[in-house]
Amino acid sequence: MHRVFTACVMTVVVGIGLVTAGKPATAADEYTFDLVHSSVSFKARHLDISWIHGRFNQVEGKYSLDRDDAAKSTFELSIKADSIDTANAARDEHLRQPDYFDTKQFPTIDFKSTSVKAVKGGYEVTGDFTMHGKTKKITFALQGGKEVEFMGTKRTGFSTELKLKRSDFGFDKKNIGLIGDEALIMIDFEGTRKE
Amino acid sequence: MPDPVLHLKAVCAAAGASALVVLALGWRRRICCAGRPVSTTRVNFACVLAIGIGLALGSQMLQLPLDWPPASGLGRLLTIVMPAAIVIELVAGFHRVPRWLAWSLRMGLAAAIGRVLLHGSVYLAGSPGQWTTWQAGIALAVSGALLAAQWGLLIWLSEHRWGVSMPQATSVTLALSLAGLCGGITVMMAGYVSGGEAAVPPAAALVGATVGASLIAARGGEQGAIGIGVVGLFGLLFIGRFFGGLTTGRALTVFLAPLMCWATELPMLRGRKPWRVCGLRMALVAIPLVVVLALAKRDFDREMRPLLGAVQIAAKNGPSHPRRPAEKTGWQDEQDRI
Repeated sequence: MHRVFTACVMTVVVGIGLVTAGKPATAADEYTFDLVHSSVSFKARHLDISWIHGRFNQVEGKYSLDRDDAAKSTFELSIKADSIDTANAARDEHLRQPDYFDTKQFPTIDFKSTSVKAVKGGYEVTGDFTMHGKTKKITFALQGGKEVEFMGTKRTGFSTELKLKRSDFGFDKKNIGLIGDEALIMIDFEGTRKE
Repeated sequence: MPDPVLHLKAVCAAAGASALVVLALGWRRRICCAGRPVSTTRVNFACVLAIGIGLALGSQMLQLPLDWPPASGLGRLLTIVMPAAIVIELVAGFHRVPRWLAWSLRMGLAAAIGRVLLHGSVYLAGSPGQWTTWQAGIALAVSGALLAAQWGLLIWLSEHRWGVSMPQATSVTLALSLAGLCGGITVMMAGYVSGGEAAVPPAAALVGATVGASLIAARGGEQGAIGIGVVGLFGLLFIGRFFGGLTTGRALTVFLAPLMCWATELPMLRGRKPWRVCGLRMALVAIPLVVVLALAKRDFDREMRPLLGAVQIAAKNGPSHPRRPAEKTGWQDEQDRI
């Protein structure tokens, strides 16, 4: 009788162990940015009559998605400020200088999420946004998250738009005027899933 | 966009304040001592203090970054390097301070300035494509040696013939002021407006203190003024070169231009009247500065002016972004700019 009981207990313990081992400790899926299908672009007011458009050509990032518990999801983004591109070489060089991005002193623009929650159509992400040496907490809605398989690789995509004030990030206030304080940033990215 | 009216106000404030401080301290001493000449220690103290006050006032008016802790190269220049130069020149001006100690402090500052100004930047980060530790060390050592040599040569020139009249003694300070203003304009025209603006307060304060000392016919303030002027000029050109768009050739030309004052020590010019020597020194210093300004203006008209909307941007600058090849290292990039 004792042997039968021991065998039953062992079977249950081993069974639980096997079931648990089959599932990862966390259900989050890890993704890295697919740079070919991602972009970070922006536009800012010029003389308050029109918009100047530009983009950053070198962006990297990663994110993890936990479909069951969105709070465990994370997003990270790093933009090389030096890769600014407004379709005008002289203006790009000017924007890299200390009156604007000061790319020799602040080479990257970074975002790291601190909390994520699921909302209709995507996620609401809050995190630390660091630009020009200043870090501020921002919240934005990421739309998307649908997973597709293409050429044997699973991928998801997201889009968001956010408004930032340059003056909040220590940009020289004397250079706000010709180009407006507020910039609209459009971020679209796809991530490929790590198997 | 630079505001010329604001610049003029800052010049007047910095120059006026420093001249008034020198006059106030000098005359007070003269009255107290029944017209006896003011001691060189006191003149140096007055001049250095006056330049410091003028510098602070002008920087405040121009809304230059004086926040603590400083985040940018310009911030470190204004809140660490310039105050350090002022303190060192205050200490070095006292008679009781041995000469070796004064020069040790100056050389220590010369060696540290580059490292302080580049702190936290990509140059010292050791990241791929940027300077290696050796390259950074060489760049800092060369720039520090250059500053130390310039500092020593200008102070030597100001002491060279102690007893010569005021114009010769003060011409070195005025030459530094001229070079500082030219450097500021060049940095601005290369696209770094706030960096160039930082040249205005020290240049104006140097002139103010020199004029103030001349009015009370006091000697002895040159060393302090030269020290602050050389450090200010070096710092301005250094940040203009490494953070802005200033080329190495132009930065070196502006930095070394005050050494043209040494030309008046040639046998054929040495015996001239003091005011002629002063005028000659200014003219000689102005020659390379005018060339640099002309080249900077040409580049400004070609590259920066179109950004202000005067002409079709795309037509002037080409349709798109000829970015530097990604595989180029930061060091190669620096070499290209030389």
